[in-house]
Amino acid sequence: MAEAIIVSDLGKIFRIPHEKRSTLFEHITGVLYGKKGYEEFLALKNINFTVKKGEAVGIIGENGSGKSTLLKIIANILRPSSGSITIIGKITPFLELGVGFQPDLTAKENIYIYAAIMGLSDREIDGKLEEILEFSGLKQFQDAKLKNLSSGMQVRLAFATAVQTNPEILLMDEVLAVGDMDFQQKCLDVFQRYLKEKKTIVFVSHDLNSVRRFCSKALLLRHGEQVAFGDTNEIIDKYVYGVDDKAKHAKNLQSESKKEEQKSVDGKIEEKKTRWGNKKVEITSVKFIDKFGKENAVFNSGDTMTILINYDVNATVDHLVIGIAIYFDSDMLCYGTNTEIKGFDVMSKQGTNEIKLCIHNLSMMEGKFKLTVAAHSIKHVPYDWLDKQFSFNVIKKGNNAGLFEIPCEWKK
Amino acid sequence: MTFTTNIWNYRHLTYKLAISDFKLRYKNSVLGFFWSLLEPLLMLVVLYIVFTNLMRVNVEHYQLFLLMGIISWNLLSRGTTMSLYSILGKPSLVKKVYFPREVLVISSCITALLMTLLEFVVFGIFMLVFAVVPGRLIVYFPAVLFVEFLLVLGLSFGIAALNVYYRDVQYIWAVILQAGFFAAPIIYPLSIIPEKYLWIIMLNPMTRIIDMLRGSVIYSTAPIPGDGIFIIAATLLVFVIGYLIFLRLEPGFAEEM
Repeated sequence: MAEAIIVSDLGKIFRIPHEKRSTLFEHITGVLYGKKGYEEFLALKNINFTVKKGEAVGIIGENGSGKSTLLKIIANILRPSSGSITIIGKITPFLELGVGFQPDLTAKENIYIYAAIMGLSDREIDGKLEEILEFSGLKQFQDAKLKNLSSGMQVRLAFATAVQTNPEILLMDEVLAVGDMDFQQKCLDVFQRYLKEKKTIVFVSHDLNSVRRFCSKALLLRHGEQVAFGDTNEIIDKYVYGVDDKAKHAKNLQSESKKEEQKSVDGKIEEKKTRWGNKKVEITSVKFIDKFGKENAVFNSGDTMTILINYDVNATVDHLVIGIAIYFDSDMLCYGTNTEIKGFDVMSKQGTNEIKLCIHNLSMMEGKFKLTVAAHSIKHVPYDWLDKQFSFNVIKKGNNAGLFEIPCEWKK
Repeated sequence: MTFTTNIWNYRHLTYKLAISDFKLRYKNSVLGFFWSLLEPLLMLVVLYIVFTNLMRVNVEHYQLFLLMGIISWNLLSRGTTMSLYSILGKPSLVKKVYFPREVLVISSCITALLMTLLEFVVFGIFMLVFAVVPGRLIVYFPAVLFVEFLLVLGLSFGIAALNVYYRDVQYIWAVILQAGFFAAPIIYPLSIIPEKYLWIIMLNPMTRIIDMLRGSVIYSTAPIPGDGIFIIAATLLVFVIGYLIFLRLEPGFAEEM
């Protein structure tokens, strides 16, 4: 297959002024005093990848990893500082809907202007005007000024016009993320249509699920560097589990407070009101281990997770029980179990011990979960109780709805 | 040159932006275009009174002489002023989509040209009122106007691009325009300029352009070939310099805004 986008050794340096020097005078004084006046920020470095015609490629990475910058360079809005980029075909960027809308002109006039910006001629739009007005449900308002329409109507109008373009290469920056369910569905339909028509698509998103669904390949960026490029599922695993030496970076994925993060990642335990017990047994660390055997705080739904608990036995105890409880939204108990229920004998000899709870299939769909770990006697005298002290995130995989995956299948 | 082919592909957008800009100017006002005529007409009346009664300028058809000067100067001042903000004023178009950025400047200049053409319609009415009939030399009029348009475009490319980087340009330019209004023979005839300073005034391409526009429409004086060559050469020079500045600065537009 022929190439559509070839990126080689691409780099982008932004100059971030200390103090914005926008006037000539400030420039002159800046030069006279020999101040550099700006910091160089490496937004992208050494990016190498090729998109073939008809491929859909997703770009993923944390906030500030350079995704949008890369997309803008592909769209020719920004120019690379080093390296080169070759585009074969006509690019249609969907970076924002309704670019160039004039609130003081009518809906109909705006359709023509927006279409012109997206590269359509009047003649091409003439035939599609009805369809656009129909789709956006603005038939009766076609001669109303745009500013008098609701923002929802404006977005629909923009979208309906934008999809009339016949792109060869489509660039999308989370356009799908706005709008109500109905609108999102329409977006997805159009996306599917483009996929079917074998358009080349470059798609930037935080929604790993849609990247998984639509894109055969993915590019993972981290701090402006290309971590990996290849098969989507592999790349998403790398993103979620950070399967490389810089594992730590991948963990700030969901908006999670840093403090909690630190606790769950390092497995260190802080004394708080949420901890009690007579310390005959002391839990020293709790770690979440992912399917690659690495410590992590983010997991794909359906993957394996091992909870590794280290504890010290400080005094002779009879019949030690270790239990866990998983909470959703910090107060809804999802699941709780302990060694007694499972009929598992816990080592209770004095000294340092380790116990693992292996979860073969994380059945929760997505969200943030808290974990309580407790060591207590069979009569429920707490030795060490850590209430909701640990947390992990689950990322959605697949399109089923709800809280939990229930193993099932359809039959005739 | 890629300039022509690339821009030509976007002529539709250029035209659309120019027209919508033009429409927007008069959208919310009842009398619409009339208001934009008010300013040059008021200026005409004031200057006419001052110069015919107080300064006693002796020029045939002075009111037409003056109005032609004002209208053609307005094309330059309005075109360049609108272009100054043509890139800065449309951040979403620069940062969110790509089309050749020249389109923004060209469309602003076209908007200014459209407004000027409407003013020329009013000028035509004035000619009827004062019973001045243009001769066949009026065929030069569109050609000279086109040269002026190119001059405006060339200037606009340069200052619009510079203004993205250095916001002082807009203030400096306002001063230059103010000075230019008096440095070109808009309100006075060239004959009142002392011989030894004349060459300075003649260096300004607008001097000859205004002179030729008047000659073709009001006085039916044949253009001097040397003047024609001078304005074309000067316009090309300005255009090339302006456009080179634009090309040099254009890659950074999206970052600087």
